[in-house]
Amino acid sequence: MTTTAPAPPQQTPVDWVRKNLFKNWWSGLISVILVPLIGYMAYRSLRFFFVTGQWDAVRVNLKLFMKGTFPNMQIWRLIAQMMIFALAFGIGVGTNSAASQDRAEDAGLGYERGSILQTLARMWSLVAFISLLLFFATTDDVGNFINPFLVVGGALVMAAIGYQAHRFPRRIRNVGWLLTATFLVIGFQVVSGFDAGGWVPLAIIFGGVAYGAVPVERFDSAWLRFALRLIAIAVVVLIVQAVYRAVDSPGIGWDKWSGLHLTLMVSAIAIVLAFPLGLLLALARRSTLPALRIMATVYIEVIRGVPLITLLFMGQFILGFLLPGGTVLSAITRAIAVMTLFSAAYIAEIVRGGLQALDKGQNEAGQALGMAPPPIMRRIILPQALTAVIPAMVGQFISLFKDSSLLSIIAILEFLGVRKIIHAQADFRSVAFAETLIFVAIGYWAFAFAMSRESQRLERRLRVTR
Amino acid sequence: MTTETQEPQRREVARPPFYRDVRVIRVVGQILAVLAVVGIGFWLARNLISNMNRLGISTSFDFLFGPTNTAIPYNDEFNPRSPIWQMVRVGVKNTFLAAFFGIILASVMGLVVGISRLSENWLVARLATFYVEFFRNIPPLVIIIFFGAAVFTNGPFPIFSESWEINFPATDNNLLIINNDKWGIPGFTQIDDLLLFYIILGIGFVVGILAWRWRTRVFEQTGQPHHRVLWFIGIIVGFAIVAFFALGQPFHMSWPVISENRRRIDGGFIVNWGFMSVTIALGLYTASHIGEIIRGSILAVPYGQSEAANAVALSASQRYRYVVLPQAMRIALPPTLNQYLNLVKNTSLGTAVGYAELTALTKTSVGNGRPAFQSFIIVMGVYLVFSLTISLVLNFVNRRMQLVSR
Repeated sequence: MTTTAPAPPQQTPVDWVRKNLFKNWWSGLISVILVPLIGYMAYRSLRFFFVTGQWDAVRVNLKLFMKGTFPNMQIWRLIAQMMIFALAFGIGVGTNSAASQDRAEDAGLGYERGSILQTLARMWSLVAFISLLLFFATTDDVGNFINPFLVVGGALVMAAIGYQAHRFPRRIRNVGWLLTATFLVIGFQVVSGFDAGGWVPLAIIFGGVAYGAVPVERFDSAWLRFALRLIAIAVVVLIVQAVYRAVDSPGIGWDKWSGLHLTLMVSAIAIVLAFPLGLLLALARRSTLPALRIMATVYIEVIRGVPLITLLFMGQFILGFLLPGGTVLSAITRAIAVMTLFSAAYIAEIVRGGLQALDKGQNEAGQALGMAPPPIMRRIILPQALTAVIPAMVGQFISLFKDSSLLSIIAILEFLGVRKIIHAQADFRSVAFAETLIFVAIGYWAFAFAMSRESQRLERRLRVTR
Repeated sequence: MTTETQEPQRREVARPPFYRDVRVIRVVGQILAVLAVVGIGFWLARNLISNMNRLGISTSFDFLFGPTNTAIPYNDEFNPRSPIWQMVRVGVKNTFLAAFFGIILASVMGLVVGISRLSENWLVARLATFYVEFFRNIPPLVIIIFFGAAVFTNGPFPIFSESWEINFPATDNNLLIINNDKWGIPGFTQIDDLLLFYIILGIGFVVGILAWRWRTRVFEQTGQPHHRVLWFIGIIVGFAIVAFFALGQPFHMSWPVISENRRRIDGGFIVNWGFMSVTIALGLYTASHIGEIIRGSILAVPYGQSEAANAVALSASQRYRYVVLPQAMRIALPPTLNQYLNLVKNTSLGTAVGYAELTALTKTSVGNGRPAFQSFIIVMGVYLVFSLTISLVLNFVNRRMQLVSR
């Protein structure tokens, strides 16, 4: 028998105002002062947004903000990248949702899959930003040779197609993750080119799969198992390498990227490259070997103690000198190297936090089972510690994303730096500074806000499953 | 029945072969790691030196004593012929000034925002949430450039497009002049060497701290009101006044005066637009982070404390002032100090608006041909000293807190 809760007493708007705005005399006083103040501010902002603002500076240069000086004839690469990333995103979300469903079923709980609309609603800031872009794009009178609505619509369709990965039977759940990783790499290389040297990321992914997938359990000899796994990895790596050598079509390297595209890519590349380094640093700092611990600690504290901009200057002026004479690295390569080394120190601290928060009993349980230290670390400690620090890692990604704006100081034309081109144009020489800055701020805000919301949600979910 | 304790058999423990002996592996592994790091470091250093020699760049720190050859914006006292280390000193001072005022702004604003987010007034809470979510998710550099390029200099918000003067009541002295891109406020003009004055002030500071501790002890033993803040400030002000007259008035007040063509401000202390951009932008940005810390700390104080305060009939403001906030501050202090550290490091973004802080000055001097490596090593060293000092304070505070909270 079910009982329904009594309906809450009807609350009239007057009640609501009395309770929330005029609870006592000083609350009322503040409300009375704030309402006209906020009204005036809102009036001035709306007036600026719709009447006085010279938004031409943004509207005319919309493409410049998005892709900067990326060659115009190669824009199809960016669009293909967007489509493939949307597909990978959809597969990832679908697989994740299906994996949650698996867990819920295992625990004997019901599970209700959220709809794509809910996902979009969660990321309302991004939706708003893209709508703003579309709004500007429709009023653009310089002519577009690609319909922006088609691009956005296509990306949505690709995401929806990818989301169907949740229909995969449970046996092949991991195929979803594999597809996500593969498409992320392919999407990246659609722009950077499938040249012969680009086989490494896919070889790592498929090599890892081969390592896990070879049926070696039936063999008793450890050496034989090891040899079989090695052979499997070697075969896969050779195949991947051969495919890349056969395709070998160069693309547009990151030296030619700019605009919002560069901003997003630089932060993603830096965090991906920084993660293994940060993990090693964290393990070294927690190590019982004093030499490793001291070196890791010094590195982490020095990097965390100086501002990123001084490191970037160091990178621009010095990094070339640190390598054998004649080595030339482009400005963006140097910046990515510095940002990687920089975020590795922060990631190390985050991972260390996760390791420290883990109960000592986990380690002892592993020892009681007779496991050696490396398997304990790999199979017991790290999976738990790394899961626990995912929200903090997203936070680090957000902060790296925001920090990538510093590249504009060292004359790299990322999202903020593109303004320099715009304000060098005859029409906008010394006007509309505020308009372009507000647009850039909205762009950064939309991405950072969506990601921070997502990380808060992850944090809540992790706390529940604890 | 007695059980005989059996003498454990002393068995020769066969040591594993050396390549599987943990003790050997540990030592060898560490030696290898150190060798690898030292080797890479040595290789990099050798490349650096050979490359610098090849290009004819000096590898010594002698350049510090060569002339600067550039003026520092908004600093008329700086002589362009004075050596580079003087320029570094000015840069450190400017970094410190921006950080100091930024920290004050961030703390006050953060406290207000943090408390407002928990307000029962819907409007106040919403406004504070909006503030936090807005500023926290925008790069500080964008905010700094916004203030620099759109608020204080050109753009649609020419707040200070014409000059205003605000007089000190009943005199002709200007308390504040707001001109195009700079503010003038009353300042001091130095006449004699101030070293002795600073020394006496330092002694006053130490005496003030001693008095603070004495008043705390009296309060703890007798329950008399301690008034330790008044004692502390009173002693320092007293020392300052005595030193001022004893040393024969080594400085005097100077009031800002606007020039005939209303372009220049003479006398007083001049606040330029770069300083204002950096300070206000970083203050607002960091306040959004501190606000979240304060809010979290207030929520972390057990609700029973508030109920207890209610039970002894404290008013809402007394409850905050005497029960909740002191405990919340203890939780909030370590992360807040971290935010202060971030703020200090972020002052280096003043480069983007031409504020003459350490990084910007160094960048200019490197652009004028000074060796980049040595220059930036000095800059990094200065920031590292700032950071390590704050870390030390943090550790000290953490220890104190742990003692207090048992």
